[in-house]
Amino acid sequence: MRWLPLLIVSVTMLGFSSCYKMRKSTGGGQIKTVQARQVNAADIALPKGYKIEPVTTGLTFPSAVAFDGDGNLYVVEAGYSYGEVFNLPKLLRINKGGNTTTIATGTNNGPWTGITFYQGNFYVAEGGVLEGGKILRISMDGKITPLISNLPTMGDHHTNGPVIKDGYIYFGLGTATNSGVVGPDNALYGWLLRKNTFHDIPCADITLAGKNFGSPNVLTTAKEDTTTTGAFSPFGTSTASGQVIKGACPCTGSILRIPVSGGNPEVVAWGFRNPYGLAVSPTGKLFVTENAYDDRGSRPVWGAGDVLWEIKDGLWYGWPDFSAGKSIVNDEEFHAPGKKKLEPLLAKYPNTPPKPTAIFAVHSSSNGFDFSKNSSFGYQGEAFVAQFGDMAPEVGKVMSPVGFKIVRVNVNNGVIEDFAVNRGHKNGPASKRKSGGLERPLSVKFDPSGTSLYIVDFGIVKSTKKLQLPQAKTGMIWKITKEGL
Amino acid sequence: MKTYLKSIARFICIGVFAGCALRRSEPLVGTFEPKTTEVAKGQVLYNEYCQKCHPGGEGGLGPDINWNPAPSFIKKFQVRHGLGVMPSFKKNEISKDELEAIGKYMKAYKHQKRS
Repeated sequence: MRWLPLLIVSVTMLGFSSCYKMRKSTGGGQIKTVQARQVNAADIALPKGYKIEPVTTGLTFPSAVAFDGDGNLYVVEAGYSYGEVFNLPKLLRINKGGNTTTIATGTNNGPWTGITFYQGNFYVAEGGVLEGGKILRISMDGKITPLISNLPTMGDHHTNGPVIKDGYIYFGLGTATNSGVVGPDNALYGWLLRKNTFHDIPCADITLAGKNFGSPNVLTTAKEDTTTTGAFSPFGTSTASGQVIKGACPCTGSILRIPVSGGNPEVVAWGFRNPYGLAVSPTGKLFVTENAYDDRGSRPVWGAGDVLWEIKDGLWYGWPDFSAGKSIVNDEEFHAPGKKKLEPLLAKYPNTPPKPTAIFAVHSSSNGFDFSKNSSFGYQGEAFVAQFGDMAPEVGKVMSPVGFKIVRVNVNNGVIEDFAVNRGHKNGPASKRKSGGLERPLSVKFDPSGTSLYIVDFGIVKSTKKLQLPQAKTGMIWKITKEGL
Repeated sequence: MKTYLKSIARFICIGVFAGCALRRSEPLVGTFEPKTTEVAKGQVLYNEYCQKCHPGGEGGLGPDINWNPAPSFIKKFQVRHGLGVMPSFKKNEISKDELEAIGKYMKAYKHQKRS
């Protein structure tokens, strides 16, 4: 009987800790008021022997950095941000001392999500919320030349990347929707009201299971009006079992490539939700981070961790019926509490999805990443990944802030370790922890020597149930070096 | 009854004390090094099955578990049968040996003195 109190206490504590339905979401962006951003490197913890310092502050929605042939640092400001905030995207050079010079200004078709430098030019991924995605070449004097346009990324997710490998530009195209079905959540994102016939496009012919989803009709003003929508179809369009949706290129949820000089796109791999970050490993393999499903919309998926994938040509990676290589159909692991069990959207699958390299925390928004290539910095061959952090409660409930840090991944065994985190008894962005540390890391990049890691910190985003409120001029760049180098 | 109350108080104290060490990741407390192959195996399996809801044992989609003072048989019971919204993991997903290894890793991660 001596074990009885232990049992009672343990079960009670486990019970309290597990009362998911009773607990409010406590996401990192769920802050009451937005205060001016503080910057204090001492509020960030690193492994022993490393130091961090601010490089520049006051940026508006910075998303990625690159270095030119002389080792000068450049940053892109996205322009567009979730929350339907529109600014013009920009390429800025960061001068010594941290002030910036504008090299190029884009059109109102952001977000510019990534940049790389190759043989005298910059290559930028333009998200394309209004006109469709593009891959841009930008010369050193700021001349912008689109290499490909009209990519179908006017939805929830955008055109991402790019990286250059073997004479090709590789880039990612995110899906229009969370899990294959256009729904009222897409009206909250803004795009459904602009592009009311837009939907996901497969890269190859697919056969549907014919599942349809009822929802309020957000395209009419009548309060009681409802509609039914099937997979890979416009809002309000039903589908039938056995119906074939024709594949096309360009397609959503894919990785495509074009020659560096421009040309027709080719499908590299598909079946991703939002392939955001792309990087080439020291051994020449292409990897991508995928932002996984949210608990929202007509077909909410719960408990789906973001993923690091190694890309194998021609494979389908599982969206919209798998998560991290595992079927989400009728599996309690992915069944959103209090909502319907998940049914398959596809009647048959192009292939069995591969096993992921690593699975990140649910809603961590694991995004831009780079590989350590220099033994002087350490952790050679490991992927350093920026975790933007959760956007709860809009994407689903969390019990604690998730992300808001830099992690490193051993790509050989999938083990993930923190590398740069805010100090304090709990994790979270600086604005929530009331510190001067990391806010929302969106990407990282090693300098050409591989001895310094630059972190692009998007800045403060306040999150509510229905919208995101990104704060202009709160973005910045940090630099991590090893002491003694 | 007195003994029961003492035991309950002891475990609440352990829980509170353990609560001071919710975060055990490398930048905060030092490098974790698996001392045995079983712990190393458990670390890989933890990352495959548990990390996404309890990153580094901290809270996320699920609760913090670094503080959890429950004995291992209760934790194993929860993994096998689920509790609340936590899904269950049957033997065809996580074998008995694998579950044992995950438990050993969690214990080592929580208690190992770090450099």
